[in-house]
Amino acid sequence: MVPVAWYLLLAAGLFCVGLFGVLTRRDALYFLMSVELMMNAANVNFVAFALYYGDLTGQVFALFVIALAAAEVAVGIGIILVLYRNFGDIDVTVPAEMRW
Amino acid sequence: MFDAYVPAVVLLPFVSFLVALGAGQYLPRGGALSGIAATGGALLLSLLLAVRVAGGEAYNETLYVWAAGEQFTLTFGALIDPLSALMLVIVSLVALLVHVFSLGYMNDEGEVGLPRYYAGLGLFTASMLGFVVADNLLMAFMFFELVGLCSYLLIGFHFREPGPPSAAKKAFLVTRFGDYFFLVGVVAVFATFGTAAFAGEGSFPALAEAALNGSGEAVWTPGGLDAQTWFTVVGLLVLGGVVGKSAQFPLHTWLPDAMEGPTPVSALIHAATMVAAGVYLVARMYGFYALTPTTLAVIAFVGGFTALFAATMGVVKDELKQVLAYSTISQYGYMMLALGAGGYVAAVFHLTTHAFFKALLFLGAGSVIIAMHHNEDMWDMGGLRSKLPVTYYTFLAGSLALAGIFPFAGFWSKDEILYEALVHAPGEPLLFGGYLMGLLAVPVTAFYTFRMVFLTFHGEPRSETARDPELVRWNVKGPLTVLGSLAVVTGFINMVPVQKVLGVEGIDLLHRWLDNEWGGIEGLSSHHYADIGPYSSGYVVGGEVATVLVGAAVSLGLALTGLLVAWRLYNVPSPTEHTAKLGGIKDVLYNNYYLDELQVWLAYRIEDVAGGADTVDQGIIDGVVNGVSSVSLAGGSRVRRIQTGLVSEYAAMLTLGLLALLVVLGLDGGWFL
Repeated sequence: MVPVAWYLLLAAGLFCVGLFGVLTRRDALYFLMSVELMMNAANVNFVAFALYYGDLTGQVFALFVIALAAAEVAVGIGIILVLYRNFGDIDVTVPAEMRW
Repeated sequence: MFDAYVPAVVLLPFVSFLVALGAGQYLPRGGALSGIAATGGALLLSLLLAVRVAGGEAYNETLYVWAAGEQFTLTFGALIDPLSALMLVIVSLVALLVHVFSLGYMNDEGEVGLPRYYAGLGLFTASMLGFVVADNLLMAFMFFELVGLCSYLLIGFHFREPGPPSAAKKAFLVTRFGDYFFLVGVVAVFATFGTAAFAGEGSFPALAEAALNGSGEAVWTPGGLDAQTWFTVVGLLVLGGVVGKSAQFPLHTWLPDAMEGPTPVSALIHAATMVAAGVYLVARMYGFYALTPTTLAVIAFVGGFTALFAATMGVVKDELKQVLAYSTISQYGYMMLALGAGGYVAAVFHLTTHAFFKALLFLGAGSVIIAMHHNEDMWDMGGLRSKLPVTYYTFLAGSLALAGIFPFAGFWSKDEILYEALVHAPGEPLLFGGYLMGLLAVPVTAFYTFRMVFLTFHGEPRSETARDPELVRWNVKGPLTVLGSLAVVTGFINMVPVQKVLGVEGIDLLHRWLDNEWGGIEGLSSHHYADIGPYSSGYVVGGEVATVLVGAAVSLGLALTGLLVAWRLYNVPSPTEHTAKLGGIKDVLYNNYYLDELQVWLAYRIEDVAGGADTVDQGIIDGVVNGVSSVSLAGGSRVRRIQTGLVSEYAAMLTLGLLALLVVLGLDGGWFL
């Protein structure tokens, strides 16, 4: 069996890829995708630990996270749509009115 | 039953205040009638209370606890004993007569703002009655302040003219200066005794007495000061308020200016409320003052000095009410002299007689002022005797009482004061000084009183208005008649000299009344005060009878001398200004010894102190408060810059925060070691 540490390394790598996307991209769609990567990194952890401890709770949680991610994408796409209507762009650095 | 109508005495005038204030403009006569009804009711209840006290039902109850603490409790209560019952009757009677008189002086003269006037009178009466029934020093202080506030409102009644508001401010500030010491004294009483009750087992005079004669436990004193010394300090502090309110030297300057108020208000202020409050306070806590001989000596000396000092200024004044103002200061000086000389009964006696004859004189002056179309200069009067007979004869009765001519009220009380001072004076230089000045003031009083009477009522009319004065109605004559009769007969309630000389028993009613003969509260009797007081009687001339006779003869002789001098100088068809012959002295007297100027000068001298205090307040106190706020403000405006509104930066911030958290947790958990 593959040791659990490998799974954790994979998840950490996946999370960092997602984080990198969030911190560097300006396009809102890339944001959504990066967030999706970070969530799946968490999912990998859940499933890995479920396997390690022989407990199905982690896998059930992973299913919940997938459902949540679907909902999040729906809301996120909606926000992006509104963003485009108001600013004619989906660059997240353009709307900066909500400050100070 | 008793419980219900003790507060009612105070609340009735208060209700009349509310009625006049809220609905006065819709009522006929601007609320005067409700005021008359309320003070009349208060008078009836006061008489009923006096009857109850005579029946042995003195009353000393706490009615309301408004702050309960571990160290002490702050309460409102009522204390009805012979002294307060007597004072209640005086205050409500004078207030009633002043209300009736106001119908003639204010309503008939077409004054505006009558609801405000009657509201002021109602509150004034209510505060004074509340002060009189107060059962502890703090409650007394609160009502004392209310009395001061009402005098401010009423003196400044004609606020559209320049004089009255300024006089009102002066009265307020000068009495407040004294009250400041009074307040410190109240706090000192609480700190020392843990209570401020006037009467009963645990009252502060009783505790002080026990502490001094060693039978009770020792009391707290600051820095382990000797109890006797500390009590003297406390007594003098409270005396500050008394000196301010009762217009004693050097805080008397507000009173002559207070003549700017409507004349009925002057009558109320001078006879029954406000000025009487100071003297009443000393009488109320006499059990405490009697323990401190130094305070008593100071009271006696200040009183005697004020009596003479004010009388000399009364000699040269041109305005009717000014003369009366100085006579008030002088007469309250006599009361203070009596209190300081151990003559508790004499002081209360003079307070009583003075209340009646001074109210009478002021209302009489008000009647003259109506007749003269509000001209108060005595040099424009003259010959009013035939036009205003009722006013003349009642005014004359009041003047004879004020001058102390036998057998009018003032003679008996003033004679008793001088007698008490005389027999207690040997061995007390301050008291003897007070006595001498009090005696010297007698002829001066008689002189200025009759100078006023002759200039106003005798001789030929000296102006067109005096030839054809406006006549007054029943509402002026009625109160004058009542008070005129009282000024004649009040002296007979206490004919001690007659009793001593002829040996007739039982004609010293007031003595027996204040000695709890018919009932009262343990520890609040004149007998008790004499026992704990420092004085012993020494007869300078032969025995007791000889001293009484000589004392009375001397004071009556001096009064008659003053009267005769006034008669010779001013009872002529066209009197001239004889006081002008005094030259420079007249100017000094006319300008009140330049004391007003001195006080203004002093006020300017302490400008630097006030400026320093202002700098400290504005710079340091306010500076700290403002500094705290501006540092937060500036800090906030810097820190808010991190809210850039850019989502990516927020995400970066989150990540950095997470990293920092990881590092801290790692360091804590020992990963990097």
